[in-house]
Amino acid sequence: MMFYVFIFIWAFALIAGVTMVWLLAWAIKQGEFKNLRQGARSIFDDEEPVGMVTDYFPGEAPLMKQLEVQR
Amino acid sequence: MSDTALELNPQGEAVSRIEVDQSAEWVVTIYWASSLFWLLMATLAGLISSAKLHSPDFLGGMEWLTFGRIRPVHWDTAIYGFGGTAASGTLLWLQARLCQTRIPFPKLLIAGGIIFNVGVLLGSIGVLMGQSTGVETLEFPLYAMPLLVIPYVFIVIANFRMYFTRRSSHTYVSQWYLMAVTIWFPILVVAAEASTNLGAVDGVAQAVANWWYGHNVVGLFATPTAIAAAYYLIPKVIGKPIHSYHLSLLGFWSNAIFYNWAGTHHLTGGPLPAWTITVGVVGSMMMFIPVITIGINHHMTMLGSFHLLKTSPTLRFAVMGSMVYTLASFQGSLESLRSHQEITHFTHYTIGHVHFGMYGFFAPLMFAMMYYAMPRLTGNEWSSARLIRIHFWCTLFGTALYAGAMCWAGIRQGQMMNDPAIPFLNIVAFTKPYLWLRTIAGLILFSGTIAFLINFIRIVQPHKLRFVTPTLLNTERDYKMLLKKESELKHNDK
Repeated sequence: MMFYVFIFIWAFALIAGVTMVWLLAWAIKQGEFKNLRQGARSIFDDEEPVGMVTDYFPGEAPLMKQLEVQR
Repeated sequence: MSDTALELNPQGEAVSRIEVDQSAEWVVTIYWASSLFWLLMATLAGLISSAKLHSPDFLGGMEWLTFGRIRPVHWDTAIYGFGGTAASGTLLWLQARLCQTRIPFPKLLIAGGIIFNVGVLLGSIGVLMGQSTGVETLEFPLYAMPLLVIPYVFIVIANFRMYFTRRSSHTYVSQWYLMAVTIWFPILVVAAEASTNLGAVDGVAQAVANWWYGHNVVGLFATPTAIAAAYYLIPKVIGKPIHSYHLSLLGFWSNAIFYNWAGTHHLTGGPLPAWTITVGVVGSMMMFIPVITIGINHHMTMLGSFHLLKTSPTLRFAVMGSMVYTLASFQGSLESLRSHQEITHFTHYTIGHVHFGMYGFFAPLMFAMMYYAMPRLTGNEWSSARLIRIHFWCTLFGTALYAGAMCWAGIRQGQMMNDPAIPFLNIVAFTKPYLWLRTIAGLILFSGTIAFLINFIRIVQPHKLRFVTPTLLNTERDYKMLLKKESELKHNDK
C-alpha cells in the first residue's frame, strides 16, 4: 500500500512540475512577457479608464447619482 | 476602443462587465456568505480557546470544549471554512472578470459550495467529539476530507474552463496567481493526507510532511489568492496601473520557486537532520525576493494616492492587507533563523505572527474584495458607511493589539525560559495579562465581523430598487429611504 502511495505522490509531483515548466514555455511562446506596459493596463477599459477612481464609501462619492427602479 | 481598452481575441466579443457580475452573483455570494459564517465560528472558537489560557475553569465542565478540541476547530474553521470559501469566491469572480467570461457550471459550483460547507461542519463536529487525527491543520477526520477536496475539483475545472475560453488577450498577473493556486492546492492536500493520515510515512518524516503542508496551505493557497486580489484592487480602485509589471512577474515566479521549501523551519530544534532545517531557513530567506518585489509594486503604486484611503473602503482594507503582507513576511523570514528561534520558538510569538498574517493580510484583502464586488454582484449598495468604518477600525486595532501583545509576550517569555533561574510558573504568571489582552483583541475582531455581517445581510436581501452605479451612492439615511420606497411599491402592488 505504502509503495503505491509513494508512486502516486511522485507521479503527482512530476506532473505538477512538468505542468509548471510547460506553462512557462507556453506563456513565453504566446508572447505573455512582451509589451508588459500594455499588460499592466489590461484591467482598464473605456468605461473604467486609467485615472478613474472606482470605489467610495456609500454616499460620499463626488458625483451623486439617482436611484433607478428595476421592477 | 481606446489604447487603454482590452484587446479582444478573435474568438469573440468580450462579455460586458455587468453580464460577468450577474453570472457570478449567486455562486460567489454563497461562497462569501458561508465564509463570513465560518469566520464568526472560528472567532468564537478562538475566543473560547483564548479564555481557557487565562481562566482554565472557563467552560471546563464540557469535554467537547476542552482546549485540545476547540483550538483545532478554531484553526481549521479559519483556514478551510473562512479561508477556503473566501478565497474560492475571490478566485471565481476575479477570474471571470479578467477572462471576460461568464462563470461556467454555476449549479455545479453552488453544489460544490454546499458540499464544502458540509465537509467543514462534519470535520468540526468530528474534532469536537474527540475524533481529531492529531495532525496539525489536518485534524479533520478522514471521512470529512473528501468533502473538502471534491468541491475544489469543480473550482479547478471552472477556473480552467474560464481561462481557456477567455476573451481577453493578455494574462494579467493576478491570473498567474489564480491559475497556480488551482494547481498547487489539490496537490498539497492529497500529498499531505497521503503522507500523514494515510500513513505513507511515519516518525519525524511525517512531521516534515505535516509542516510542509501546514506552511504551504498558507503560502501557496491563502497568500497567492490575496496577492491576486491586491494586484487587481489597488490599481483598479485608484485608476492607476501597477508600478512595475516586470517586478510583478518576477515576484510571482520567485514566490512559486521558493515558498515551497520554507516549511521545515517550524521544526527547528527537532530531531531532524540539520540540513532539512537549513533548507527551510534558506527557502524562508529567499522569500525576501518575492516579498520585496510585491511590496515595491503595491506601495509604489499607492504613492500619490494615499488620500483616497479616506474615501474608499475597498482601498483601506486592500492597503492594510498589502502593508501587513510586507511586515508579516519580513517577520516570518527572520523568525526562521535559528538565532531568532532560540528565543521565540514554542512561545506566544509564533501565535502573534500567524494572526498578524492571517487577520492583518489575508482577511483584509478578502474583505476588500467583498466590499468591491458585492455591490456589483447584487446591484445593491452597502447600507451603512458607519458599519464599514467600525469594521475597518476593529480589524486594524484588533489585529495590532493581538499581534503586539503576543509578540512582546513571546519575546519576554522566550528570554525567561532561557534563564534556568526563573521558575516556570513565574513565566506563566507573567504572560497572563497578555493573554487577557489577546481575548480583548479577539472580542474587538468579533465586533468588527458582526458589523460586517449586518451590512452583508442587508446587501444580499432582495430589493425591488437597484442603484445605477454601485458604491457611488447611498448613506444609511438613503438606505432607510430605499426601504421606505420599497414598502410603498409593495403597497401599490397590493
